[in-house]
Amino acid sequence: MSRRRGRHLFAAFRHAVLLGWTLVVLFPIGWMVMTSFKDAGDWVSWPARWVPFVDFEPTLLNYRQIFHFGDTGALRREQTEQAYNIWKAAFDSVVVVTIASVASLLLGSTLAYAISRFRTGGKNYPYTILTIRMLPPIVVAIPMLIYFASLPEAFAWLIGRRVEFFDTYHGLTLLYIVTTLPYVIWMMLAFIDEVPRELEHAARLMGASRLATIRQVVFPLVASGMAVTLLFVFILNWSEFLLALTLSQPKVLTLPVLLNKFQSAVEGRLYGPQAAIGTVVTIPVVVLGFLIQKHLVKGFSFGMIRR
Amino acid sequence: MSGVRLDTLVKTFGTTEAVRGVSLDIADGEFVVLVGPSGCGKTTTLNIIAGLESPTSGDVYIGADRVTDWEPRDRNLGMVFQSLALFPHLTVFDNIAFPLRLRQVPGAAIGERVRAVAATVKVSHLLDKKPSTLSGGEAQRVALARTIVVQPAVFLMDEPLSSLDAKLRVDMRTELKRLHASLGATFIYVTHDQAEAMTMADRIVVMHQGRVQQVGPPLAVYGDPANRFVAGFFGVPAMNFIDGELHGGGEALIFESPAVRLELKDGGPLPSGPVTLGVRPEHVRLTRDASAGRATVSLLEPLGDETLVFLEYGGAGSLVAKVDAEEPLAVGDRRGFTFRRDRIVFFDTATGERILRG
Repeated sequence: MSRRRGRHLFAAFRHAVLLGWTLVVLFPIGWMVMTSFKDAGDWVSWPARWVPFVDFEPTLLNYRQIFHFGDTGALRREQTEQAYNIWKAAFDSVVVVTIASVASLLLGSTLAYAISRFRTGGKNYPYTILTIRMLPPIVVAIPMLIYFASLPEAFAWLIGRRVEFFDTYHGLTLLYIVTTLPYVIWMMLAFIDEVPRELEHAARLMGASRLATIRQVVFPLVASGMAVTLLFVFILNWSEFLLALTLSQPKVLTLPVLLNKFQSAVEGRLYGPQAAIGTVVTIPVVVLGFLIQKHLVKGFSFGMIRR
Repeated sequence: MSGVRLDTLVKTFGTTEAVRGVSLDIADGEFVVLVGPSGCGKTTTLNIIAGLESPTSGDVYIGADRVTDWEPRDRNLGMVFQSLALFPHLTVFDNIAFPLRLRQVPGAAIGERVRAVAATVKVSHLLDKKPSTLSGGEAQRVALARTIVVQPAVFLMDEPLSSLDAKLRVDMRTELKRLHASLGATFIYVTHDQAEAMTMADRIVVMHQGRVQQVGPPLAVYGDPANRFVAGFFGVPAMNFIDGELHGGGEALIFESPAVRLELKDGGPLPSGPVTLGVRPEHVRLTRDASAGRATVSLLEPLGDETLVFLEYGGAGSLVAKVDAEEPLAVGDRRGFTFRRDRIVFFDTATGERILRG
């Protein structure tokens, strides 16, 4: 009787702690979303305005301003376009992140295959790759800046033509491919190791080349693993800030960098539009996160291959 | 045509020698079974024939071609794997069509050939299913169909029946043999199961510790083993071995051990010294008098048609005899025993090699 009550008490306590922690984690996000619906006067008012429709009147003004539609309030439309170049930033983000993520996935999966099947790089190679990934991005950013500055000269000397990397689409795309490759290799290695070798032996005896075997047998079997990895890498690239800030702006400008720019000399910090952009940028991450969860279940349960 | 010849194959993995000089000549259309305990090098040998492993030294010939350095796909082989290796993401139809598509057979012909071969191995009703929904026997047939469909000259099989239950395995044995007869292709079959080897092979290749111990038709390997390993590997229950010495010479040769004394009337040129006598349970006779020795019945195992009798005869372990089920015997009975003299074999106790009688 008392043991049972003890267990109930413990369960209640555990739930209370978890609930409290959830509130702590969600509070900033909630606050951001709320701020994105507030008018300028309510952004920093004290005491804080908590309850929509009671404490403050929700408005779409911030969204109208960042997306340049409808009544943009005190700012004329051209001004909003200048200040919040979200369409351009969204385009840059989508293009760079999509191409980089897909390229990184294909390259990394093939590399993972080589490591899994031929032990390329020796026994400790996968761990070495993982270690590389533990470097703080800033350590990478400065040397990359030096490369980006000197590569055009190298190209000029080699092929007689300068090829720029700083603040270009291909420059940032390459950076994102390189920085996410270790993740892709590490994740795909786990999936590819699960594919029985006899399946490949069978395909090769039936006449498939190594590449055809990878394309027709290995990759279809790890498809859901690839989907998860792609989503994961996409989120990483989507939220990457430091490299994009150091090595690629103002011409190629991604959303996280744009998000950082809202400090107007005239009006101070523009919390409302910034919160609106923050909300917009977060939505794909949340959606992809849910997709990953769904896929992970499938990805890790393909052990039903007859052995 | 498509016989297979192996010329002193050697394969080492690091410091382990998996295959130590295997030479073999397999005729076109022959059903050869490589048999031996696990780790004897039989699967490695098969993989070298397939091209999945390359030999450290030695050569593989298929037909007239030296194929040692050829890619697996260029060797015109079909292989059935222990795990069957059906592609889990493809339907049965697509699994069977897989090798045809790689050979760029036109679409209509693919459908025709897949259906024809599916009918031969009786899987026509399964064409739309995925491998994970098949039973063991069905998956087995699909794997066979996928191999047969391109009509390879040589079939390699790596313990294909080991995942089946006992009854199905016996049925599939018969079917494989029938299939071999109807296809007329060369079959090279690897197993650790001596019953599979005995029942299916034209010739058995017994392997142990990376070496070929004996090559021959099943009954020759069973009745005329080349050494103690081969003698002990075939037969259930195993052959009885009795260590002793040979005395005399010329016309009167006597085998003598502490518990057994046997006169070999026909004599023959046998060396004197320590030898091991081998006799199969079915060649042990129970008698009223003490012709070779006397023993006490310690255990009876009726098999139905015959009964296994375990005899305490005063030597190491028990002597096992296979007798008619009608024989009136009870545990504790004292009996004499003798051996069928024309069926006993002798081995050199030190080396295990057979001592041949002239």
